[in-house]
Amino acid sequence: MRLFARARTRKAAGIAAAGVVAIAMGAVLFAGSGVYNIAASSGHWTVVEWFLEFGMRNSVKRRAWAIEVPPLGDPDLAVLGAAHFHRACVHCHGAPGIRADLTAQRALPPPPDLTRVSREWEPNELFWIVKHGIKYTGMPAWVALDRDDEVWAVVAFLRKLPGLDEAAYRKLALGSEEAPQQSGRNIAEVGLVADVVGACARCHGTDQRGPASGLVPVLHGQPREFLLGALQSYADGTRSSGMMQPVAQELRGDSIEKLATYYSSLPAPAPNRPRGEKAESAAALATAGDSAAGVPACIGCHGRTALAAYPRLAGQNAPYMANRLRRWKSGLPASSNPETIMAPIARRLSDAQIGELSNYFASLTPGGEIGRSP
Amino acid sequence: MKKLLAGLSAALALAGCREGQPVLFAHSLEAEAIARLAWVLFLGGGAILLLVVAAVWTAIRGPSAMRRYLATPRMVIAGGVAFPAVVLTALLFLNVTLMHSAARAPSDKPGIVPITVSGEQWWWRVAYAAPGGAAFESANEIRIPVGRDIVFTLRSADVIHSFWIPSLGGKVDMVPGRDTRLRVHATRPGVFRGPCAEYCGGAHALMALQVTAIQPHEFDAWLSGEGADAAPVQSESAREGQRLFLASGCGTCHAVRGTPAAGTIGPDLTHFASRRSIGADTLPIDRGNLLRFIAEGQKVKPGNRMPEFRIFSPGQHDALATYLLGLR
Repeated sequence: MRLFARARTRKAAGIAAAGVVAIAMGAVLFAGSGVYNIAASSGHWTVVEWFLEFGMRNSVKRRAWAIEVPPLGDPDLAVLGAAHFHRACVHCHGAPGIRADLTAQRALPPPPDLTRVSREWEPNELFWIVKHGIKYTGMPAWVALDRDDEVWAVVAFLRKLPGLDEAAYRKLALGSEEAPQQSGRNIAEVGLVADVVGACARCHGTDQRGPASGLVPVLHGQPREFLLGALQSYADGTRSSGMMQPVAQELRGDSIEKLATYYSSLPAPAPNRPRGEKAESAAALATAGDSAAGVPACIGCHGRTALAAYPRLAGQNAPYMANRLRRWKSGLPASSNPETIMAPIARRLSDAQIGELSNYFASLTPGGEIGRSP
Repeated sequence: MKKLLAGLSAALALAGCREGQPVLFAHSLEAEAIARLAWVLFLGGGAILLLVVAAVWTAIRGPSAMRRYLATPRMVIAGGVAFPAVVLTALLFLNVTLMHSAARAPSDKPGIVPITVSGEQWWWRVAYAAPGGAAFESANEIRIPVGRDIVFTLRSADVIHSFWIPSLGGKVDMVPGRDTRLRVHATRPGVFRGPCAEYCGGAHALMALQVTAIQPHEFDAWLSGEGADAAPVQSESAREGQRLFLASGCGTCHAVRGTPAAGTIGPDLTHFASRRSIGADTLPIDRGNLLRFIAEGQKVKPGNRMPEFRIFSPGQHDALATYLLGLR
């Protein structure tokens, strides 16, 4: 009897194994024969489309489940996200008043209209999609996977996007940048510039205008050598940013030099936000350092007479500075110059010191000396 | 056989090496006392081992009367309890007396040379009292006069380190928030090495100290020179190096007395070039090693607190090295 049972189990196992082999061979035969139509032009069968969508949605929800959402209400975040969205996402997804590129829309699946579908996702899910991208859809991953702070800026914008009309979108993404009037010949020769207006200026401002978002650094009047180094390290990938790396990589020929010269020559912009309150302890830290904690005085490298490879901090945006210092503190690796110098020092600062120092430098007159009252 | 011979001769050469950190070649009264105690231990321990082996042999092969005698309770108590208790107590007493006399040394008696050494991750801050009375700082190397009482005051700025120059004295921990003392009376000149002898974090293995014992008159001359400010820079290249040193922020961590560089976070560099090593005995001092330490210090001494300065051009490197190697 027992012998009989064992023979039966063995037979069942044999059938199962044969089944698995048959399915695998069938799959290879199916793919190898070229029967399946891979054409984007023909679309999916309804059932296949449902199945793929079902799998995708559940995968995103499952993976985004444990992601903690930081506060996204800060307008600086949405402005930065919008400016990046305008450069990197509009081509495929479109925006209020801007139709998505027709060629991109012929992809399968077509990139969705985000003014509509952004509502369908929770912030943590949007974050996961923007950061990791989605296989076989054409949705790319974030260029710098260690810059979650940038991804959250895009998420903050996407949360606002469904409620924006054309004017509100342009104000958020482009600020006060206006497209120049173009002649027919000019359009013929260089294309319409309406939507690429303000490549750098959109975020960093120009002549009299500073950055639109406090999370973006003021470049006006920084040493040319410092700006050059920063752009080059973005371009060669040693400094990580999903926003700046693609921009810097596009700069060919002597355009990096020209940009560095341009921004270094600009006078300080008028501050576009009230100066933060100043802590006395921050002034002491900036001018004398904290020996016990191994923090040297900021003035040693960021004062007026410091090396041109270092940035000047008087008048810098406080949210930008605080974010940059906190990223290092939370472990963002530093491999570019002069980041290798600052990152270990930033890691010795307390969170409170970072906040106070950022407000202190923001309160100083740009181009002025550290330690003097503005 | 050849290998064995080579190994033996290497061991002999090592044993014969009187510089570095040999334990049994004492160069101070304190180390001599320790070495004496060590010999008492080795010889006494050897003699006791022989006795034990003899007893074991007798217990197995000896005449039956002897074996019976060895098995009596009196023998067991005398040899197994009383003897070790007496010997170990005597050794403890010797040891404690020895440590006590070196550690309880007063640091303010006339004629004493007081030197304060602070262990920091991962280097040594050294402070001398100049003849005039004003203290000044140096780092990672200590000079001491032969034939005078030196009292080290040992402290720590962060975690527990341990000060141990085997040729000059016993090991003394450097405990945060507490001063410990060690008296040393060097008897012969020489250069002695001491590793940090308590694990103190990442770069612990690359934290060592060199002590040079010199004749008293040489020491006095050296001390007044070491206490003086850095000599003004002479060449154009050194001037450019000094400008770079200040503009790139080196002076916020390092002091060069007599210049605006007054940082106290890292080692004082006033007479940097007169030292024998870079990075607390990590690399011998020379131009190439100096530039490596500046530009890729995290490879040379992983975890050390100085950031890597990769910003300099070859020309700037040259100027910096000329300036720093001119700080004699």
